[in-house]
Amino acid sequence: MIRFTFVKPDGAEVAVEAEAGTSVMQAALDNGVDGITAECNGSAACATCHAFFDPEIVDQLADMSEHEDDMLDFAAVERRPESRLSCQVPVCDVLAERKVTLPDAQ
Amino acid sequence: MASAVQTVSDVTIEEMMADPYPVFDRVRDIGSAVWLDCAAIHLVTRFDDIMTVERNHAVFASTNPKSLMNKVMGHSLMRKDDEAHRNERMAVEPSFRPGIVKTEWRPVFEEIADDLIDAFADRGEADLFDSFAAPMASRALSALLGFEGVAWQDLARWSQALMDGVGNYHADPEIDARAREASEGIDAAIEAVLGKHRAERNATILSSMAHAEHPHSIDQIRANIKVIVGGGLNEPRDSILTTVLGLLQNDDQRRQAEANPKLFAKAFEEAVRWVSPIGMYPRRVACDTTLGDTVLKEGDQLGICVGAANRDPSRFDGANDFDINRPKVQHLGFGAGPHFCAGTWVARQMVGEVAVPKLFRRLPGLVLKGDPPPVERGWVFRGPVSLPVRWTVGG
Repeated sequence: MIRFTFVKPDGAEVAVEAEAGTSVMQAALDNGVDGITAECNGSAACATCHAFFDPEIVDQLADMSEHEDDMLDFAAVERRPESRLSCQVPVCDVLAERKVTLPDAQ
Repeated sequence: MASAVQTVSDVTIEEMMADPYPVFDRVRDIGSAVWLDCAAIHLVTRFDDIMTVERNHAVFASTNPKSLMNKVMGHSLMRKDDEAHRNERMAVEPSFRPGIVKTEWRPVFEEIADDLIDAFADRGEADLFDSFAAPMASRALSALLGFEGVAWQDLARWSQALMDGVGNYHADPEIDARAREASEGIDAAIEAVLGKHRAERNATILSSMAHAEHPHSIDQIRANIKVIVGGGLNEPRDSILTTVLGLLQNDDQRRQAEANPKLFAKAFEEAVRWVSPIGMYPRRVACDTTLGDTVLKEGDQLGICVGAANRDPSRFDGANDFDINRPKVQHLGFGAGPHFCAGTWVARQMVGEVAVPKLFRRLPGLVLKGDPPPVERGWVFRGPVSLPVRWTVGG
């Protein structure tokens, strides 16, 4: 199990534990973290699981596909360099003890 | 304690076609899954239950050995799950990405919409079903697919024939024959352009399929194109008309949108919640299970009523009202889960950014004609089948 923390839009922090390989989106849903909508439930089709990752490790996460890259341009809150669709990011060791910040809107 | 499925037997299909919402309300109060005699299917109408179904396709499967869709269209991605579904879904995604839709497809939609409005703008009245929404959706679909020289009326007819074929549970030979004719017409339309799309990479769906990472057989291409023809025409058509209807029936909201055209996108989103163009789609229970308060058995056929869930009062205040100012909450108009509508961003652009704002801008003083009144039909698919309007010419 890998431990990391979601920072919700209101600033509240929720520490979660998730198995390596499950998506960060799924970890949020499994732990009842609101701030992720995930309308398409992980198909990278809706851009409602947008999250900001720790800039120090964002480059070490699973590669971003062209599809995810296009979709992120249409997220409800403007993307930043550390933006990802959390359904496309499997939980992995580099995420341990790091923060994942959720935007004000999905 | 979960209980056995209850039955509603005093409703006719004609009542469902005319207005399914009172029945949806009744069924939602009764249980998580309720057998509707006239449709011979278990209706699932509560928002939370549908989320459960969509998050658990090992139990609630899209695959279906009895599917008429497979017989009529071939075995498409709509009736596959997991890896098989994902590979074919990924193949078409490049044509449907929001960035591609905005840069490649929006100009095409603009041109079609203007061309159609040019033809009737000086008449002062029209039925927007025939004169605008149907040809708009059909011509846009033809362009998206990569078809060439196919009349919009033919594509619209094929689409309807396929949908009728899929719903032909009583095996009417005439409906079967029309569906076969449509299928052959589409095969020929594909054949005419597939070589070209194999040779060049472009934004069309046929080109995306021809250059897919997981190569497609001709049967896969044909089946998936037919699903897109069957499903890609009535939804934009019906959501154009429902958005216009909602705005024309609510003058304050219409004035808000005219003052701030960004709100047309919200109006589209609300229209898809209010009267979902796909009101119901099927799933099959793959093993004995419990859904909410109801016990289900392996093989039970479920009708997932997103049209009902989108009016679930536990989720939406004033659920029966069209309200573009309601707080943004997830709705199920595009479905949920792996089969989430691939055309979502196409529809948002075509309907909310192009077709509807253009109608209001180019037809000043647009109002419902009043006599005859607009007519809405359907429950599996629902939308206005007639929308007579008038507007001010000259002046």
